[in-house]
Amino acid sequence: MDEIRRHRTAECDRFELELEAYMEGEVRPFVLAHLGECVFCKVVSEDLMALRTAAAELPLEEPSPAVWANVRAQLSAEGAFAEKEGAWSWLWQLDLFRRPVPVAAFACMLALGCWMTAPRNYPQLDTSASLDASGGQPAAVRSMAFASGGTGLEPVVRELEEAFKAREGSLAPDVKATYENSLSSLDVSIRECNDSLQREPDNSLAHEYLFAAYSQKAEVLSSALEIDEGR
Amino acid sequence: MSQQKTAAPKAASETQLVARAQRGDEEAFATLFEMHKRRVYSLCLRMTGNTAEAEDLTQEAFLQLFRKISTFRGESAFSTWLHRLAVNVVLMHLRKKGLQQVSLDEVDSSQDEPVKRDYGDYDRRLMGSVDRISLTRAIAELPPGYRTVFVLHDVEGYEHNEIAEIMKCSVGNSKSQLHKARMKLRDWLRQNEGLMTSGEPVTSDQAPTER
Amino acid sequence: MADRHQQKTIKTTAFPYGVGIFLCSLALPGLLVAAEGNRVEKTFEAAPNPRVTVSNARGQILVRGWDKQQVHIVCSVMSPRVEVDSEVIPPGGPADKVHFSTHILDPLVSGKDQTADYSLDVPMGTDLEIRDTQGSVKIEKLQGDDATVETVGGAIVVSDFTGHLFVRSIGGNIEVIRAAGRVEAYSITGDLHLVSPATSKLRATTTSGRILFEGDFPDGGDYSLSEYSGDMDIICPPSASFELNAKTDRGKLENEMPITIRHQPATPLSSANSLFGTHLTGKATVSLKSFSGTIRIRQR
Repeated sequence: MDEIRRHRTAECDRFELELEAYMEGEVRPFVLAHLGECVFCKVVSEDLMALRTAAAELPLEEPSPAVWANVRAQLSAEGAFAEKEGAWSWLWQLDLFRRPVPVAAFACMLALGCWMTAPRNYPQLDTSASLDASGGQPAAVRSMAFASGGTGLEPVVRELEEAFKAREGSLAPDVKATYENSLSSLDVSIRECNDSLQREPDNSLAHEYLFAAYSQKAEVLSSALEIDEGR
Repeated sequence: MSQQKTAAPKAASETQLVARAQRGDEEAFATLFEMHKRRVYSLCLRMTGNTAEAEDLTQEAFLQLFRKISTFRGESAFSTWLHRLAVNVVLMHLRKKGLQQVSLDEVDSSQDEPVKRDYGDYDRRLMGSVDRISLTRAIAELPPGYRTVFVLHDVEGYEHNEIAEIMKCSVGNSKSQLHKARMKLRDWLRQNEGLMTSGEPVTSDQAPTER
Repeated sequence: MADRHQQKTIKTTAFPYGVGIFLCSLALPGLLVAAEGNRVEKTFEAAPNPRVTVSNARGQILVRGWDKQQVHIVCSVMSPRVEVDSEVIPPGGPADKVHFSTHILDPLVSGKDQTADYSLDVPMGTDLEIRDTQGSVKIEKLQGDDATVETVGGAIVVSDFTGHLFVRSIGGNIEVIRAAGRVEAYSITGDLHLVSPATSKLRATTTSGRILFEGDFPDGGDYSLSEYSGDMDIICPPSASFELNAKTDRGKLENEMPITIRHQPATPLSSANSLFGTHLTGKATVSLKSFSGTIRIRQR
């Protein structure tokens, strides 16, 4: 042991035994007295106090949006919600929805599958643009897309938009402006695609871009909700 | 690590929300989740030290909560009920993983190496300022039993008698484990200080280092 | 958590009030920079194929590959209320993972006061993950494994990268120069500029930004470029050999390359302009899509 260190005494042993109670707020005259005499025990005491203070001040952490999405999906499957029922309810029985990654993958595949197999009269679709548009889509987005009940991303996007509106005040002005510009751009594309489809319901490109726009919008909104700006 | 500031849900007393949730109101479920998700998740994260596990356990805790919500009679605060449920979910998970150290019944002499009683080296004190990143890492490094007690007491604010009830141990045991956990954390933090100070800070007016 | 602790009254007269006023700048594990105008330089020994992540709010991030098995960082902050933390796993020995993150300690710190600039040198084979909200990111000369770069408004420039590159920006422009391997680039309003890729697979999508592609299409490559309303310019050498699928709904399709028309779809896309054909022997596959923007294919 280092020569400069003091040897422990019986008083240090007693100090250690009583320290915890002292830190809990109990009056311990011996501890107080020993703190005045023993610099090493004083250091220990101060360190433990600092630790306790730091522990109490640890910030709360935020779970990913996938947690609620999965909880909601599972509860919906169990019929916990009074109003929620629909044509897709049978899907909730699948055990996949306990895990975010399978939910995400399944949601993506199902949405695309339903869209691709819907009765339309055009050649084999190249969905690469759609897939690209949703490239890197967070699991939360896909599971929420599925939670909406199928191919319709619209309700999911609406939910995310509401959450974004509640949150946007806390974003820095330039960050908020970037998000607003991008959302505006996507809204234009959604509007135009919908207009196109009203005139030409079989326009495959418009279908493709409409799906992509909704996916991207969900992705952008999710990104805005996940941002923490280093705080 | 992230600290998101989501907007608070619309004001509704928790009692009303619980009552609505008991009737299957989805919005009430969502609001209750929003109100308590961070606390539950933080607890799970600190007790497991793993984000994926923590998210799974958070999900499980809320699922159990909502499944059992009809049994909530208001004898305790809803948040207390939820929190206790979450703690039990995590402990059950840790026990299933075979982490026997979670039980604190026996006097602990088996959890890793003995806590060092290094009372020397005045100059290497923690200086009273513990950064949260290091502390978070240090907590994750603790053996599960120590970690549980430390998180429940110092982070979450449980009293020893509550911890004793949760962990099925004596109050004395809980206090003893807490002290050892703190000493272990202190040792870890002091040891890891030295590893990171590999260079002196340079002032901003010095020339950039050439590659 | 807070309510439980508030309920406890700490009855001690020896409470160390000095907790909050320690002046020692002793760097605790993970704390790199916390003083105004401070610039810190550190080097970490790295294991083979380490993973390096950076999370930043504002400021420039520059990453370069080098031939040392070390991660070297120089970082500086504008405000004393901005802290840069580092985390090394494992704490002793060569690092498998090194994580840097910027924390804004004071909610009143805003705008450019939040700036933290990073300059990193990383070994070849590094897995990189960078998030810079409003700051720009530049990656140079890195033979990595995977690199993921995400910004909200910051520009991203990647040059001479080998590996799987995934770059995404909501509003920032993206430039990828001489990349090899696989590239995915996404933006909503930002422009995409792709120069001389040597990739086997490339996906680039923007909604209202422009796409400018300059270079050849390597044999066997699979290239897919898509934008909604911006214009797309493809400039390739006469020797480029590719199979082309190009379509736009309302925009124009202008082509200068001699394309052998392959076939037209049996049921034409209603009002789309489309071009399906082959240039030379069609060794690469090129898909170009636009909704209302103009697609221009030009010879260099």
